[in-house]
Amino acid sequence: MSKNPKRAIWEALLLTFLVFFLGFLLGFVFESSQAKKMTEYYTNSEFYLMDAIALNSLEDNGIFDCSSLYDSYFSFADRVYNESIMLQDYEASEQITQEMKVIHRRYDLLRTFLWSNILKNSKNCEGYPKSVVYLYEYNTEDLAKKATQNVWSKVLYDLKQAEGGKIILIPIAVDLDINSLNTITKSFNVSSYPALIIGEKEIITDLTSVQDLKKYLN
Amino acid sequence: MDWLTGIFFVYSFIAFYFLFLFLLIYFQNRKVYSEIPPITKEYPLTIIIPCYNEGKNIGEAIENLLQSDYKGLKQVIAVDDCSKDDSYKILKALEKKYKKLLVVQTPKNTGCAAGSKNYGVKFAKTELIGFIDGDSFPQRDAITKMIGFFDNKKTAAVTSFILVKNRENLLARLQAIEYEIIAFSRRLLGLIDSIYVTPGPLAIYRKSYFDKIGRFDEKNLTEDIEIAWNFISHGYKIAMSVDSKVYTVAPTKMNAWFKQRTRWNLGGIQTILKYKKSFLKSGMLGQFILPFFVSSWVLGLSGLFILGYRIFRTAFVQLLAAKYSVEVQTAVITLKDLQVSPNLLLFFGILTFFLGLWFTLISLVYSKEDFKKEKWHEIIIYAIFYLLVNPIVQIKSIYAYMRGKRSW
Repeated sequence: MSKNPKRAIWEALLLTFLVFFLGFLLGFVFESSQAKKMTEYYTNSEFYLMDAIALNSLEDNGIFDCSSLYDSYFSFADRVYNESIMLQDYEASEQITQEMKVIHRRYDLLRTFLWSNILKNSKNCEGYPKSVVYLYEYNTEDLAKKATQNVWSKVLYDLKQAEGGKIILIPIAVDLDINSLNTITKSFNVSSYPALIIGEKEIITDLTSVQDLKKYLN
Repeated sequence: MDWLTGIFFVYSFIAFYFLFLFLLIYFQNRKVYSEIPPITKEYPLTIIIPCYNEGKNIGEAIENLLQSDYKGLKQVIAVDDCSKDDSYKILKALEKKYKKLLVVQTPKNTGCAAGSKNYGVKFAKTELIGFIDGDSFPQRDAITKMIGFFDNKKTAAVTSFILVKNRENLLARLQAIEYEIIAFSRRLLGLIDSIYVTPGPLAIYRKSYFDKIGRFDEKNLTEDIEIAWNFISHGYKIAMSVDSKVYTVAPTKMNAWFKQRTRWNLGGIQTILKYKKSFLKSGMLGQFILPFFVSSWVLGLSGLFILGYRIFRTAFVQLLAAKYSVEVQTAVITLKDLQVSPNLLLFFGILTFFLGLWFTLISLVYSKEDFKKEKWHEIIIYAIFYLLVNPIVQIKSIYAYMRGKRSW
């Protein structure tokens, strides 16, 4: 018979607390390091966007150049799109902290800023790559909507592979409380999500194949 | 953190706690794990075998029992509970052959094992009484190795190491693994005075204590659990002899298995409710056994819920996404869909699984059965699938209990 039968009962409890504490600590360190990495990417992307905006502001001085401007928009959108895929992976790993959600929101603000600038320049720069803005719900619990958004992501990935040079793909979550985004979407009369806005005219709310989407781009 | 993650963390915490507890008890008591006190006194013993429709096994079971090397075995009482088969006829024939055997029949069918066991006790006159199921086969020295524990005056009952006799199909072999783990766990619980069941295949009781606590509860479907809780609530001890091996016949068909498990769970519910007032109160029953029992229910049900919910959601979204993908001619599945993101839930899940597997392997090694008998794939099937079925039985049992089912 064990000398102190209850010893193991309390020791197991302590050990469980210890493992949980260490697990949470490791989880916290892991999630924080991912958040730190994403924040660095974000800071760099922010720099690229600011650079593009600075370029855009040259319009007032009469030394405006659509080609340079769209090159910078394009490279920014491309960069942010790739980072959004990385962000999605990191978000799936996040269980304790909420840092990725905050970063996601900041990225969406950057993307909204990009979209509003593209809208601003669209009249002066006709013939340049079209913006393809994908509006989706970040916090949806609707399983059918989740499935639809899952497929939209794949379709847009395929579209980007096929038409990469011709489009500026901007995915933005509409339910992260960004006022400027709400104002823009209201102006487009978009009532249901997910939705795709191609250029300034076409609003698509039904899932569409890459082949059909290509028609809107020409 | 969402609510499902919260539930998962609670689940992990309870699972970790019990796994750590068992592993700690094992590592701290390895040297005394197999300790068997020597016989200092030959306590007179009567063994009672309840029998209801056991014609297939009862003859062999009695002949096997009568070969026991325990010299204090004075009498074997076979109680026929008005069987519908030829059990009584077989018993009567055996009675003529063996002097030690007394065959009695209940005036009418009692409808439960507890009824026929209590009936048989009326004929027992010895200091110790034991019970063996009609389909159980103790090894020759099994009883002898249990007797020394009664030198401790507080010991009210001694249980044995129950193993599966028939291993002809996968279900029986999975139960063989389960029985080895249960027996190993019970021995570990014995080291902290928390044996919560004195199983039917072979248990020996001190008759004076057995009578004092009111014998088996005939309203309870698992009288062997209830009596153990009753003893502990009265401050008595229950010991386990790991070298007393008993082989019992396990169900080989799914419906028989399901029925047996439903009865066990129904009895578990009855026992929990009967002793609910002791919850968290003094003594091992309130402070450990009841919380342990309740936690195992919480673990089973929450585990099934988490898994079921996740599988349902993922399957629904993936099926719908597959349908939509076909419609818009894009890839149904991509590498990204198969990607698993490292996270804390996954880490805890993997840790729980491997700790559980480690405990399973230790149990199998310590059962001293031929470890190679259990093939690896059977151990994996047991660890992943077999354990998942139990919560389904629990749900069925709760439903049956709520509908008022209380009979065998």
